[in-house]
Amino acid sequence: MDEPTLIRHAANGDASAWEPLVQTHQQVVFRLAYLLLGDPDDAEDIAQETFLRAWNHLKRFDSTRPLKPWLLSITANLSRNRRRSAGRYLAALTRAFRDEPAPASVEDKSTEYMEANDLWKAVQNLKEPDQQVVYLRYFMDLSVAETAAVLQVAEGTVKSRLSRALEKLRAIIKQGFPVFIEEHEGRES
Amino acid sequence: MSESERELLEQRLISIAEGLDYPRTPDIATAVMTRIRPSTRPRFISRKLAWSLAIMLVLVSSLLSIPTARAAIIEFIQIGIIRIFPRPTEPPIDAIGTATPDPITPMTATASLPSATFIPALSLIAGETTFEEAQQIVSYSILVPTYPPDLGQPDYVFVQDTAGAMTILVWLDPRQSDQVLMSLHFIPQGSWAVEKAEPQILEETDVNGQRAIWATGPYPLRLYNGDLDFTRLIDGHVLIWADGDITYRLETGLPLEEAIKIAESLQPIP
Repeated sequence: MDEPTLIRHAANGDASAWEPLVQTHQQVVFRLAYLLLGDPDDAEDIAQETFLRAWNHLKRFDSTRPLKPWLLSITANLSRNRRRSAGRYLAALTRAFRDEPAPASVEDKSTEYMEANDLWKAVQNLKEPDQQVVYLRYFMDLSVAETAAVLQVAEGTVKSRLSRALEKLRAIIKQGFPVFIEEHEGRES
Repeated sequence: MSESERELLEQRLISIAEGLDYPRTPDIATAVMTRIRPSTRPRFISRKLAWSLAIMLVLVSSLLSIPTARAAIIEFIQIGIIRIFPRPTEPPIDAIGTATPDPITPMTATASLPSATFIPALSLIAGETTFEEAQQIVSYSILVPTYPPDLGQPDYVFVQDTAGAMTILVWLDPRQSDQVLMSLHFIPQGSWAVEKAEPQILEETDVNGQRAIWATGPYPLRLYNGDLDFTRLIDGHVLIWADGDITYRLETGLPLEEAIKIAESLQPIP
């Protein structure tokens, strides 16, 4: 069965139609929650809550639309809600600091690794709305249209937010990690 | 930032994303399905609720067979989707010829303010969400009061499926953050009616020219969150009015005049 058919069945209360949809999207939902919260336990909670909420509101969902942006939209909102809870946020920050995800494919301390590390740290220093658009577009590999659907804004707004986020990223890098910018400027000249 | 610089930055971001070491994705599907499958019962109707409704039905049917009871039972006030069953108006034995106040005395601004709230009740309410998500879920505009001017955004937002998505906004008292200042309920047409039984005081008033009811007194507020839950957020007064398909309930410890100003100040968030 294709996704729209499964969604229609699930919306009519058929839980067995919902299971393959959860399996299909659980990784992307979990990963977005993990990026936003920095803690695997919190990310798992949010991912479960995302699918439960979506299940409860499936009747309102237009089954002709793709499911992923809607799910990620719920994930982003739930994660933001969770982050607002100061205690949890502080705990997550502590854990995130301890278990900070890092580019693992690069094992040595090469220039490329240092660069990637600096850029990753800069992304984590972005404010939440900027982080969100960067994560969705570049880390979740969503198109501009899909990102717009998740954030419930126009595509033009996504483009302008991305530009702003990249500018801020550049500013953070320039301030905190000038070597990265100098190297790129060197490569261009 | 030049175009090439932007492209480089984008490429690097994508490259980092590809190399990011995520924790292994847990088996979300099994956990979710375990939580969904036990509720093969109709969603939002618990056994407890079914029993309550059945008992209520038997009780009401029995009472309807008694003419005096029938007369009392079918007299209710309806505002939008809310039905209010007033307390039977039996005069007190010593009422005649004394200065005992009428039980239907209109509420005035000088009435003592009721005690406020119990925050733990908030943690019992299902459906906590954000304002933005709530607006995505429901099909109507969630309005917020622009009076008093310093009220700000609600501290808590809940959306509950009562066969229609009911939204509850809650503001905490800025002076006592463990107490609820007021709550505003949006109940769409088609929801299971929220019913109030025997409020002590009822007064008819209006909000934006629409008939409204101002009620006080102990009452159960039914919140359906999968299990029947009798609770309320504020031990104060309630202003009830309807506009189109939405019935509004404003729970507040403030006097009627203030409640009406708040009700009439509702605006969509720009």
